Amino acid sequence: MRNYPWRLLADLTQREIKSRLSHSAVGIIWLIVTPVLLLAVYAFVFGVIFKARAPEGLGFPFIVWLAIGLWPWLAFSEASLRASQAIRQHSALISKISINRSVLVISVLSGTFILHLVGYAVVLAILEIRGINLTWQGLPYAVMIMFTLYGLAAGLGLLLSAAQVFIRDLEQLLPILFMLWFFLTPILYAPELLPADLQHLLWINPMTWWIEELRAALIHGQVLPSLSFLALVAGAIVTLLTGHWVFNRVSPYFEDFL
Amino acid sequence: MSSVLLKVNGVSKSFAASGKVSGRFQALMKILTSGQAPQGTSVIEGIDFEVRQGESLAIIGANGAGKSTLLKLITGVLAPSQGFIEVNGTTAALLELGAGFDPEYTGLENLKMNAAFLGLTRQEIAERLDDILAFADIGDAIHEPVKHYSSGMVVRLGFAVVAVVKPDLLITDEVLAVGDESFQKKCIRWLERYLEDGGTLLMVSHNMYQVQKLCKHAIWLDDGGIRRQGDVFDVTQRYLAWHERKDAKSLSNTQKTPSTSQYAITHLSIFNSEDESGGSTANDPTQAASAHDELVLETGQSLSVRLCIRSPDTRAPVVLIGLVRADGTPVYGVATDHDHHSVTLDENGEAQLLCQFPKLPLLPGGYRVRAHTLDPEGLRVHDTTERSLTIRGQTRELGMVRLTHHWQST
Repeated sequence: MRNYPWRLLADLTQREIKSRLSHSAVGIIWLIVTPVLLLAVYAFVFGVIFKARAPEGLGFPFIVWLAIGLWPWLAFSEASLRASQAIRQHSALISKISINRSVLVISVLSGTFILHLVGYAVVLAILEIRGINLTWQGLPYAVMIMFTLYGLAAGLGLLLSAAQVFIRDLEQLLPILFMLWFFLTPILYAPELLPADLQHLLWINPMTWWIEELRAALIHGQVLPSLSFLALVAGAIVTLLTGHWVFNRVSPYFEDFL
Repeated sequence: MSSVLLKVNGVSKSFAASGKVSGRFQALMKILTSGQAPQGTSVIEGIDFEVRQGESLAIIGANGAGKSTLLKLITGVLAPSQGFIEVNGTTAALLELGAGFDPEYTGLENLKMNAAFLGLTRQEIAERLDDILAFADIGDAIHEPVKHYSSGMVVRLGFAVVAVVKPDLLITDEVLAVGDESFQKKCIRWLERYLEDGGTLLMVSHNMYQVQKLCKHAIWLDDGGIRRQGDVFDVTQRYLAWHERKDAKSLSNTQKTPSTSQYAITHLSIFNSEDESGGSTANDPTQAASAHDELVLETGQSLSVRLCIRSPDTRAPVVLIGLVRADGTPVYGVATDHDHHSVTLDENGEAQLLCQFPKLPLLPGGYRVRAHTLDPEGLRVHDTTERSLTIRGQTRELGMVRLTHHWQST
C-alpha cells in the first residue's frame, strides 16, 4: 500500500476527468446538463409514455425511485467498462514506460466514477429543488454504500482489463453483458413487480443488494448500516482482492500479448 | 570499486505465440496458475552483465539482435522468461521517440505527465519547469498539442524531462539520432557532464562515433546472445569489421574467380613481422590455420605477407598484393612489376615471396589482404587468394590510414 504510486494515480485521475470535460465545447457545464437531460428523458419515457409507477405506498413519483438506482448503476457499469479497456487503450504507454500498470486502470475508473457521482449529486439536488423530500439522514450511509460499490467496480475493472489483453473478444462482449446485467437488476422495476418465486432469484445478482440498500438509505431513511451492508463490504473486498491478484500476476506479460 | 547499479543475471526472453485465440486463452490460464508465460520464439538468451555506478555501457548489434528487447527487460516493460534483473537506483529510459506522450495533449501537459511517470512530485516539476523548457528550447510550441510536433521537437521534449530528472541510471535507445545537429551536441555535452558527475549510462546506438565518445564499455549482441563484451574500441571495431565482411560477402558471391588457373597461388599467409613465432609457423605451408584464423594487429605494427606460387611454364607471373577494407574499398595495391621486382622460379616452377609492410598506418577496422597472380604480361588475373586482417587500436581518428601530420598554433 505504501509503495503504491498514489500521487501518480491522483494526477492521472485528474487528467482523465479534465480530458472528459475539456474535449467538449462547454466543458464543465455538461457536468450538470447531462444528468438533467438524462433525468428528463427518463421522466418522459417512463413517467409519461409507460406510466411506470413506483411501488405502492411509497409516496414518491417513479422518476425519484428510478434515479436513486440508475446513477449508481451508471457509475458502476461505465467505470468498469471503461476500465476494462484501459490497458488496451494505453498499450503505447505500456510498451515504452515502466509504471505500475494498475494505475492506468484505476485512474480511468476513478475519473468515470467521480463524474457520475457528481451527476448523482446534481440529480439528488434537482429532486430536492422540485420539492421531493428525500431522507437526507440516510446520506452518510449512502456514501458508505457508494464506497463499497467503487471497490466492487475497481476489482472488476482490474480483472476485466487484464483478461481483455488476452481475450480480445471481451471488448465486444462486455457491453452486451452489462446491458443484460442492467435489465436483470431491479433498477427500472421494483422487485415486488416480479412473481414471488422469481423475486428471490433477483438476489443472486449482487447488484440487487447494492441498489436496494441505496434505496433503503435514501428513500426509507435508513441511517445505520444493516447486516446486508456487511455482505456489500465482503463482496467488494473479495472482488478487489481477486482483481488485484489476477492483475498483478498477469501484468508483467501485458507487453508480450498487446 | 563502486556499487553495482544494474545486474542482469542469466536473462532470457521468449515471446509466446500470440496469434491464435485459443493460444492466448491458454497463455492466460498458464500465467494465472504457474506465474510463467508459455515458451515461444526466443529473442535473447542467457545474457549476463553488470553495470557499476559511474560506468557507461553501449549495446550494439545488428537489427533484430535483441537490443531493444534487452532494454525493455531492464526498464521493466517486459518480464524476463528466465533469470533476473536487479536495479539499485532510480532509472529513466528514453526507449523511443515520444514514448509516453499523448499526441492530443500539449507539450507542457505531456512534459508534466512524463515527469510524474518518472517519479517527480508536482512541486518538483514546478521548480524545474523553467530548466526543462530552457533545455527543450522549443519556444511557444510547448502550448501546442504534441501531434503537431516534428519528431525533433518530440525528442527535445523527451530528453529535456530526463535531463532534469537526473536518474542514477539513464537508458536511451537510439533516440538522439533524430535531433538536429545543435540539439545532438547539447545532449552529448549534457551526457558527458552527467557521466563526469557520476551518472551511469546504458545506451543503444548504431552511431559508433557517439558510442566511442560516450561509452567506456560495450556489449555486442548478436542473434540474442552476447558475441563480445569489453572495451568499447575493441568491441565496436570488431563489430564494424564483421559488418564490412558481411557486406563484402553478399557482393562477392556473384563474382567467383575461375579455379582452373594457370599461374596459381599455392599458399598465402600473413603475420606480424615483429612476432617471431608467427613467422616460423608461416614457414610451414602445411599450417592451414592461417587460412581460418584472422590476424589481429595494432595500428603501427608491421605486416608480412608470404606467398607461394606455381607456374605451368618457365615464365614467372606478376604478383600483386592488395589491401582492401573488409567492405572491398581499396586501400593500397602494389605489383611486382611496379617495383621492378622479378620473381625467380625454382626447377619445379615454384616460387616463394615475402612482402613486408613496416609500421602499417592502417586505422582500426576490418581489412583483407589479397594476393593475385597475373600472367607475365600483367594483363589477366589468374588466381586470387585473400586473408582477413583486423586492426585494433585506441583511437577515434577517422578514415582508413593515419597520415603523418603536425599541429601548430599560428
